[in-house]
Amino acid sequence: MISIKSLRVFYKQPGIEALQGISLELPANNVTCVVGPNASGKTTLLKAIAGMLNYEGSIYIDGKEIRNYMNYLRKILSYAGNIEPSADYLGARVIDVLLASRYPVARGFSDTREDLEEIHRVSRILNIEHLLHRKLSELSSGELQRVVIASALVKNPRILLLDEPDNHLDVAGKLWLSKYLNKLSETLTIVVSTHDVVFAFHTCDYFVVLSSGKILYHGWRDDLIQSKDYIEQAYKTPFIKVEANGKFILIPLYET
Amino acid sequence: MEYRLLRAVYSSVAGAVLAVTGCFLQSSFRNPLVDHYILGIGSGALFFTYTTVFFYGYNPFTVALAAAMGGLISLLLTVLIAEKISGSDVAYVLAGISVTTLFSGLSTFMLYYVQVKYPYASVLMAGSFILSRPQILPYLLVPVVFVSLGYPLLAKRLNVLLLGDENAQQLGVDPRLTRLASALIAGLSSSIIVCLFGLIGFIGLIAPHIARFLIKTSDNRLIIPLSASLGMILLYSADLFSRTVMAPIWGEIPAGSIVSLFGAPFFIILLITRFTGRKT
Repeated sequence: MISIKSLRVFYKQPGIEALQGISLELPANNVTCVVGPNASGKTTLLKAIAGMLNYEGSIYIDGKEIRNYMNYLRKILSYAGNIEPSADYLGARVIDVLLASRYPVARGFSDTREDLEEIHRVSRILNIEHLLHRKLSELSSGELQRVVIASALVKNPRILLLDEPDNHLDVAGKLWLSKYLNKLSETLTIVVSTHDVVFAFHTCDYFVVLSSGKILYHGWRDDLIQSKDYIEQAYKTPFIKVEANGKFILIPLYET
Repeated sequence: MEYRLLRAVYSSVAGAVLAVTGCFLQSSFRNPLVDHYILGIGSGALFFTYTTVFFYGYNPFTVALAAAMGGLISLLLTVLIAEKISGSDVAYVLAGISVTTLFSGLSTFMLYYVQVKYPYASVLMAGSFILSRPQILPYLLVPVVFVSLGYPLLAKRLNVLLLGDENAQQLGVDPRLTRLASALIAGLSSSIIVCLFGLIGFIGLIAPHIARFLIKTSDNRLIIPLSASLGMILLYSADLFSRTVMAPIWGEIPAGSIVSLFGAPFFIILLITRFTGRKT
């Protein structure tokens, strides 16, 4: 589905190589988690797959090198990071953001019935339908996070890249998101980057562990739990294995 | 009669054009504090107008060309200074004020010499429709064509640009190209208005804000036409006020001054709410 070969990304400012030759394949119809410490290259990897960065090497989606299929990619793939805070200075409402997010699939100058139906469908699922006509500046950070996720879903993509979607969500919100992403993954390929390892183990089947722009591990969740050295090495923190509802997860051990 | 009709048409059309350029500039720079006046476009265009009049006399064609060039040069200068400071919305205001001060100073200086060749030059300082001659009609059509072409091309793209440059890129809107096109259209259109009628600030700033306040959205497909109508009403009323109410008392006060009288306090309120954390 998504196949990456010797991917390198350079940032001219401040002159670093954020991804240093990464090769991996991400399974279709699954939730993949990209984890790793700060500045390990998680966001860069997601943005590269979304075609938002210049890169060396190759990224194939459905066997097509994405460089040559950007227009196609825009229709089937969504990336959600954050909404520029300046959007609310000009009085943007939630529905304005969602309409703009449908740009690649929306036809013509005016909104069609399909545009509005799709927006209402997605906002009903994300429980933000009552917020559609509110200004972004009036939303709580948790509500705003739901809007960001909705903005990625309104064009009905097949591939969903979410950069830290669990930010600003409380425990109940994270639990809901975890279940929702798993339900979505029946029809979608989802790649999530997160700082919350516990959230990752609850949500994802496939893991990519990054450290300083290199891959430490990529593979299925259960294999990672068996060999926890990788994740300990990435975070330079001891982890312990705990059992919850018959499932094993790794949690960081803050005590030394 | 014909003069009055022309004057009404000119002031309304100029108001509409300036309001739309305000929408383009605010959305493309993602900055609610700017219009052609704040960004220095107006004073740059005025200075180039004076310089051209000084050398070649008042010929609408050459003057319009020079004003367009002056407007774009001063806009470029503002952008360069603002990006050097920090690129924030306030940096744009500061950079715009410094560019405006520079060109206004130069214009005042030029005015002494220009008035000899073109006695009406001082009218352009504050923006007035007292010189509503039929000959300038074709020149007024140029900005009208620019903004009318810009609206369908840019309105939806500017909505996407509001989500941030990276998001816009992913959605298939080239942020640099969109910003460049908006700035060019707004810069050229407002500069030509300046060389025809003079410096009229704040219409481009206020009209989009009132529009956003009235219909509570940032959707440029609706905000641009509504701003145009509001700009039309505002500038026409200002000019009407100037020639009916003010003229018998004090002699005619330029419409531009009347707009500034209301616009400047509005701008101050805008700045204050921006800095006390309340979003306008």
